[in-house]
Amino acid sequence: MTKKSQKKLEEPSIKPVNPVPPALLGAAWLVPGLGHLLLGKKTRAAVFFGVVAAGFVTGVVLDGEVGVPRADNPFSWLSTIACAGNGILYLARLVWLNGLGGLLSNLPLGLEGGGDPVSAGFGYGKTFLVTAGLMNLLTVLDASDIARGAKS
Amino acid sequence: MDHFFLLIWHAFLVAVFFAFLWRTERRLQIRLFLKTFLIMVVGGFLAGWLMYPFP
Repeated sequence: MTKKSQKKLEEPSIKPVNPVPPALLGAAWLVPGLGHLLLGKKTRAAVFFGVVAAGFVTGVVLDGEVGVPRADNPFSWLSTIACAGNGILYLARLVWLNGLGGLLSNLPLGLEGGGDPVSAGFGYGKTFLVTAGLMNLLTVLDASDIARGAKS
Repeated sequence: MDHFFLLIWHAFLVAVFFAFLWRTERRLQIRLFLKTFLIMVVGGFLAGWLMYPFP
């Protein structure tokens, strides 16, 4: 083994990263933009909150259904994960539709997702709700990258 | 309900989001916003026309 390759083995090129506090990730998921706000990225925090909230409200106004798990539809779990990405907006919508008691007693397969399937905006509304949730999940990953020092 | 307006609104939100997620410099943000927005609007419009003959 040459000296150069031995040195390469001794000094891994991967830099140590800062650990990410789970509370930061939880906050970033719960309130869109909060993770960035806590990291001092005020403009990005405001933009992410505005975009996710606008997408979610548009979805609800268009009579879209928030994703809830259904026993007979495995794909409903995917839309549930995507919509749950909206954090507190998703939880608030579920409480609005089911009531707090109904929400707790009907978990996980008996929840009402709202929306009107007959409405012209049903499909569009669901698209907006899913898009908003996925965008917020991406902000969580972004906040994680910033906290780790992998991104500014 | 104006379907084209919803296309524009969706494209706007997504384009703003990715411009701020992926770029930090203002000039690059504007460039990515315009690129993403136009691709989504023009692409959606063209896809609509291409699907027109199909039932």
